[in-house]
Amino acid sequence: MSLLRLRAALSGPARLGGGGVPWSVLRNYSSASTKEKARRNAVCERAELLEVLKARVKQLQASSIPEVTVNKSELTLLGNDKLQDPLQEEGAPSPLEEPAAPWGRGQSLSRPSSWAEKLKKEMHVRQLKVERKLSLAASQTALEEEVKAKPKSKEKVKAKKSLKSPKAKVITAWSQAQGGSHSTCTHGKLRVTVGKEGVKAQRPPRAQKDSSHQKVLQQSIQSTLECFLFLQQPEEAERFLLSYHSSPAKRRLLSVSAYNTVMHSWARKGCLQRISRLLCMMESVGLQRSLDSYAAVLECLGRSQSSTQAVWRCLQQLKNDGFHVDDLFQKCLFEEDEKEMVLRAIRIVQPNYQLPPPPSPQTCKSSLLQDFYSKERMVSYPKLDFSVQELQECFQQQLEMELDNTVTIESVESTKPLTPQAMRARSVLSTLRSRWHGALLQALHKSKRSMAKLRNTSGYSTLYPYLCLLPDEEYVGIMMQIVNSLSPQGESLAVLARELGSKVYNRYITQRKLRSRQLEKVRAVYEGYIHLLAKDSQPEEYLPREYWEKLVAEAGFGPALNLKDCSWPYMLLMRLGMHMLELLVEALRVPRNILNPRLEPRLIPVLYHIYSFHSSWQVGLIKPHPIFSQLVSDAGETLLTFNSSAIPMLCPPVPWTSPHFGAYILSDTKLMRFVEGVVQHQQLLEQCPQVQLHPVLDALNQLGNCAWKINRPVLDIIISIFNDKGNEKLDIPPPVSEVPRPSAPPGSSSSWSKAHKQELLLYKKKAAEVHSMRMDALYKLSIANHVRDKVFWFPHNMDFRGRTYPCPPYFNHLGNDVTRAILLFAEGRPLGPKGLDWLKIHLVNLTGLKKKNSLQERLEYANEIMEEILDSADRPLTGRRWWMKTDEPWQALACCMEIAKASRSPDPAAYISHFPVHQDGSCNGLQHYAALGRDLIGAMSVNLMPCSVPQDVYSAVAQQVEEFRKKDAEQGVKIAQVLQGFVSRKVVKQTVMTVVYGVTRYGGRLQMEKRLKEIDEFPEEYLWEASHYLVKQVFNGIKEMFSATRDIQHWLTESAKLIAQSGQTVEWVTPLGLPIVQPYYRSRSTVLNCNMQHLSVKSFNSNQKPDTVKQKNAFPPNFIHSLDSTHMMLTALYCLRQGLTFVSVHDCYWTHALTVDIMNQICRQQFVALHSEKILQDLSQFMLEKYCSPGRETRAQWQKKLMEQLSNVPKTGDFNLKEVMDSTYFFS
Amino acid sequence: MLAGQAAPGAAGCRRLLAAALAAGLRRLLCSLPPCSASARRVVGQWPSPGLRVPEAAEAERLVQQLQRARPPLRRFIACPQLARTVQRCLQGGASPGPQPVLLECAPGPGVLTRTLLNAGVRVVALESNSAFLPNLQSLENSLDGQLKVIYGDFFRLDPLVTGTVKPPALSSDKLFESMGVAAVPWRADVPVKVFGILPQVRERNKLWRLLFALYECSSIYRCGRVELNIFISEKEYKVLTSKPGEAKAYQALTVLWQVGCEIQLLHKEPWSSFVTNMKSRGLAVQKTKWLPNDHLCLVRLTPHQNLFTGSLKPTNSATFIFMVKQCLAKPRSKLTDRLSSWSLDNGGKLLRELEIPQNAETRDLYPEDYRRLFEALQNSSEFAETWFNDEVMESIRNINL
Repeated sequence: MSLLRLRAALSGPARLGGGGVPWSVLRNYSSASTKEKARRNAVCERAELLEVLKARVKQLQASSIPEVTVNKSELTLLGNDKLQDPLQEEGAPSPLEEPAAPWGRGQSLSRPSSWAEKLKKEMHVRQLKVERKLSLAASQTALEEEVKAKPKSKEKVKAKKSLKSPKAKVITAWSQAQGGSHSTCTHGKLRVTVGKEGVKAQRPPRAQKDSSHQKVLQQSIQSTLECFLFLQQPEEAERFLLSYHSSPAKRRLLSVSAYNTVMHSWARKGCLQRISRLLCMMESVGLQRSLDSYAAVLECLGRSQSSTQAVWRCLQQLKNDGFHVDDLFQKCLFEEDEKEMVLRAIRIVQPNYQLPPPPSPQTCKSSLLQDFYSKERMVSYPKLDFSVQELQECFQQQLEMELDNTVTIESVESTKPLTPQAMRARSVLSTLRSRWHGALLQALHKSKRSMAKLRNTSGYSTLYPYLCLLPDEEYVGIMMQIVNSLSPQGESLAVLARELGSKVYNRYITQRKLRSRQLEKVRAVYEGYIHLLAKDSQPEEYLPREYWEKLVAEAGFGPALNLKDCSWPYMLLMRLGMHMLELLVEALRVPRNILNPRLEPRLIPVLYHIYSFHSSWQVGLIKPHPIFSQLVSDAGETLLTFNSSAIPMLCPPVPWTSPHFGAYILSDTKLMRFVEGVVQHQQLLEQCPQVQLHPVLDALNQLGNCAWKINRPVLDIIISIFNDKGNEKLDIPPPVSEVPRPSAPPGSSSSWSKAHKQELLLYKKKAAEVHSMRMDALYKLSIANHVRDKVFWFPHNMDFRGRTYPCPPYFNHLGNDVTRAILLFAEGRPLGPKGLDWLKIHLVNLTGLKKKNSLQERLEYANEIMEEILDSADRPLTGRRWWMKTDEPWQALACCMEIAKASRSPDPAAYISHFPVHQDGSCNGLQHYAALGRDLIGAMSVNLMPCSVPQDVYSAVAQQVEEFRKKDAEQGVKIAQVLQGFVSRKVVKQTVMTVVYGVTRYGGRLQMEKRLKEIDEFPEEYLWEASHYLVKQVFNGIKEMFSATRDIQHWLTESAKLIAQSGQTVEWVTPLGLPIVQPYYRSRSTVLNCNMQHLSVKSFNSNQKPDTVKQKNAFPPNFIHSLDSTHMMLTALYCLRQGLTFVSVHDCYWTHALTVDIMNQICRQQFVALHSEKILQDLSQFMLEKYCSPGRETRAQWQKKLMEQLSNVPKTGDFNLKEVMDSTYFFS
Repeated sequence: MLAGQAAPGAAGCRRLLAAALAAGLRRLLCSLPPCSASARRVVGQWPSPGLRVPEAAEAERLVQQLQRARPPLRRFIACPQLARTVQRCLQGGASPGPQPVLLECAPGPGVLTRTLLNAGVRVVALESNSAFLPNLQSLENSLDGQLKVIYGDFFRLDPLVTGTVKPPALSSDKLFESMGVAAVPWRADVPVKVFGILPQVRERNKLWRLLFALYECSSIYRCGRVELNIFISEKEYKVLTSKPGEAKAYQALTVLWQVGCEIQLLHKEPWSSFVTNMKSRGLAVQKTKWLPNDHLCLVRLTPHQNLFTGSLKPTNSATFIFMVKQCLAKPRSKLTDRLSSWSLDNGGKLLRELEIPQNAETRDLYPEDYRRLFEALQNSSEFAETWFNDEVMESIRNINL
């Protein structure tokens, strides 16, 4: 109830302003203002007294927490009301104890309203508790306090009378009745009333913990209010809030932040009365103000240049609530000029107030990174080959692209000549599109109007504000984009709805960033930031993240770079998307006779909603009418539209400084990728101390800061083949027209024979596959072609295990052979003495020919076939085409060209090469397992031990399987005989590779089947049996060779099983400090009722039960992945310190030919360092603490079992880890 | 629809009584050689061989012993009384004269088989579990051609996977060939009667597959209007026989079965009367939310003679199925909306002609209305068959796999 005081504070300026006296002011009965002077005098005493009270509260807190938090607010209130009389103040603690005594009496005396009665009942139990706990303390003072309290309580009753809120009326009526009959108890009761409300407000989160629906609703309310804030419609926001506030059932959905958001929107207009009214509302439901509430009040005070007194009182109140003024600037996220306004308000009272200094940067203390972060060895950050001026231009280009949200580029097919038919189709399409644009605009207007009408008469349309965020044209643009990119096979409703919804969301976020002036600040900071990277500026000894943070801290003013969390709930996104989809289906029409003029002209829908049935469930699809698909394919349009985030960045990415900020300038990017609706990762990242994330952020920044360019000659060759029917052998998908079409028999399609239908079906399936592959290649090549003359960057983020990925989805270095072949480092380095040799070895690696030979032998082989290499480089398509026969033909071709250029240069060692040379881990998962278990045989077979020739684990397993097979064949096992001559490295490779990652027999069999199918000679009828047999033997073979590995895998699986069975999710922390949680829950689906179709949407929330099977099966592979990502990040960071260019494709590390040797050394060092940590012991300890901490009261059976399991870390073998340092083929 | 006739007719009763008496006598007289029985043989009707029908407990023991590999869940008739009831139902309503052969699917311990044989029925037993085969085969050998035992699974007839068909899956052609049944025209009499208990696992899928076979005249329906007498769960029975407008129960499956077949309820039996092969001997009855499911219902599905007399043909029936499924995917949608979404925007006229109210919801239409609607669409030039057809093929593929 300290709110009363704050309101009193606010009422001053409101009256000065001369506007109508708001009703809330009435509550501050005249005595409040007349006694102002006395109050101020009493400040000192009051402060002291509050200290006493606080101490008392703490005392009580020790015994019972909920009761005290309820009463806490009363304490401050009482302190306030009794200002004039210090004597009374001394007694303040006692009223707190008072309710115990008079309650019983009051109950029987009068029952003024049902509300009060209900309240009483609810309170009774609680009351008894309070009674017991407080009776001791109360007994001493209760008597005299009762007497003292009398006059005050009367005053209060009077005050309440003037309230107009219905709730207050009840209180008044009640207290009057009570006061009349038994004045001594009134006082106590009144407070109990309020206290009870506090309880009520606190209860929902406890009682309805499991209600995920409620959470979604709360999130929706918040995002709707934020929409109004964005739209600058405080009236609407308040109306919306009131619609919840006025219903007791809905009211519990409102949190403090909901009220705060509305206050913020009023603060922006400087309406103090409205804010005080909201505070009053908050108080009436017993919500505690948060720091943000004060920020809103102060912003408003600052904006309206209020009186000293008002500000002073507000600040006083802030302190009373246990906050500090500095907290405002350290914890609140400000937008626009909010920070300045708050500061202005504060300076009215404290003219010399200075912003608190930014927190001093912390340094990560991980033992693995001591060297990396040590200040003594600090070196300057490597410079790019760009001047400040050039980088600024790059930034401007990137910014313009992101401001447009979409980028339209020429496809690589544009070089084809135009046929008259295509011309015609294009013109038809363009007229249709402009017509559709108009129709959509009209439909949107219409639906918005009807929503607005609905809003005025009854209830509230939830979608309306979301359809007002952007100009109508933009919504139409988004919808048209969907129509243009719809494939002829159609797309599922849910996918389209999500795409539409998230497109709107992304634009809204962009707009918000613009509105909050966040962009301006980013631009300013970025301008400073490029000085770290540009070649013509002073070297700075900072990491990108550190430098950025330093610049932000120096900037001081302005909006926060993080937006307040404003993500829309998934349900809402879908609902919005569905609404837009309905508009599309309704509005778009095409004349039926557009292709066949003989038909009568009639408009028919362009998009169809039909169902597709998959066994027992049905899926809604949206399909374009064949007429439209035909037009699109005839037109052969050559413009492609992408989201701006699908294009590589044209300037160095914004460094990651927190889980919310980094990568693109405007586009919203998550540090950690996750399944829609799973929030646990984000929560975990926010909760962990930020300094713990620094290594991960720095590693991502390092990967993202690698500049790239296009290998133009290779790109040109690829495009020429792409435009000339493609080539399946070279992995360039042919156009759909190349798929052989079955001849159609005469007659209508319904009379065809079954065989014919089957044939046609197969054709359609194949055509659909080819189409999607072709489109994928088209996107990749077109984007590559778009940036062919530029330098570009791939910002990175990671999955929940810490594996890193480039953000642009289509074209990136993680892609297939084709995309990798057209990428070059933008930075060039001389080859150095060994560079050319490395290029040659790299080439032989790419051919896949000499896997069992030593490096020296590979190099010799390369020299032997130099003629072929040069021929391939010089006449790639007309020569002997040696490169086409290799494993990775396009990369091999690119490498041939590089070798040719280098070897023909006068001094190969000085030749500047941009070519990335790869070093691959050999079965990296098994390497980590073998190192974890110090498994001697295992370590040998995956090259952890120095050896003259590389060991090949796949061949070893294949050999083992072959031995098993021979034995079985001799014993007359039919399938073993059939398999004679088919067991090879290639057949077993995928299964062996994935065994580490938890492939099951089922999955393994499918892999085998696939491999066997690829062998043409293999008899088809034995496929099932043979694959079944093989997978069994592969598992046996692995068990034989890797004993410790299996133990560890088993230990991990069992631990995860027990953890999941106890109802918890498996969590751990990587050696680099990244917290990880496995996001597998039993999902619950909620049905979304839309006009067109009911959609079943899977929903996740934090208190859902884990999916035991997934938690268990996925833990070993996820854990190993978290280790390989750690190894990669460590290597990346130490490579940075050595000034190397470094990027990775998971367990394949890339650098310049010059620096391969250094990278190899660092890679081995870091592997040894990583595994020298007690990884399994640390894991066991972490999990014991997390899942079996002694603090827990239950000692259930499962817990004992879990404890036993977790403490029983598998024993390790006696492999000497240091040997890795000398192993040539560890990564090669 | 003639659902709900549970009691066998009076004639059936009398015949049964006679058979039972005969069986009793036979047992007393012990051993008359089977060959002498053939002298009194009526066409299509065999005299009772007087086999001993095992008691329920005995049969249950047999089931439990012989079925080593437990799943999939199977149900058996073990109680002689139930077997007699079923036998009465199967013979009830039959016209005098030669009776078609009865294909008994998955007889298991053979309680019903013996009951049927005693009633003079010619039986082909199709057993999918090889553990039950020896008993059945020795029974076959002791009789003079009245029983034929085949290894196979009725519900895995004509598998869709390519490659050789591995038993117990088998092709219907082979089955009918070894049964000695020749194909007859659609309008002819029932060539084969089938009795079986529809497996509970994927029960609905099996109903769908049968339905597709029926409309395509493929698989068992290639040889004519095969009469199915199958035990299905009560909830599926409710679906098959529900009426327009009945919430939750009136589905595409309803419409299509009712258009295709005459559906008769022969008998209702509580779940507990059947023996399962579960270790726990539990009943393993699926719970349902909306429909009652307390019984297994013996229904007779006799394909309508006039199914293919109109413009509905086995070649275009897939379109009909697709149309019904699309309509009833959202039962509360308006029929006119559906029609217009198939680019038939003078659907109003069509509906008027068919005397279907303009505001009808798809769940309000009678099965016969759907058939008329389809035929009207087939005859109208408006029907945008080209794109519709693609969908039809796709949907068939999805269901059949």
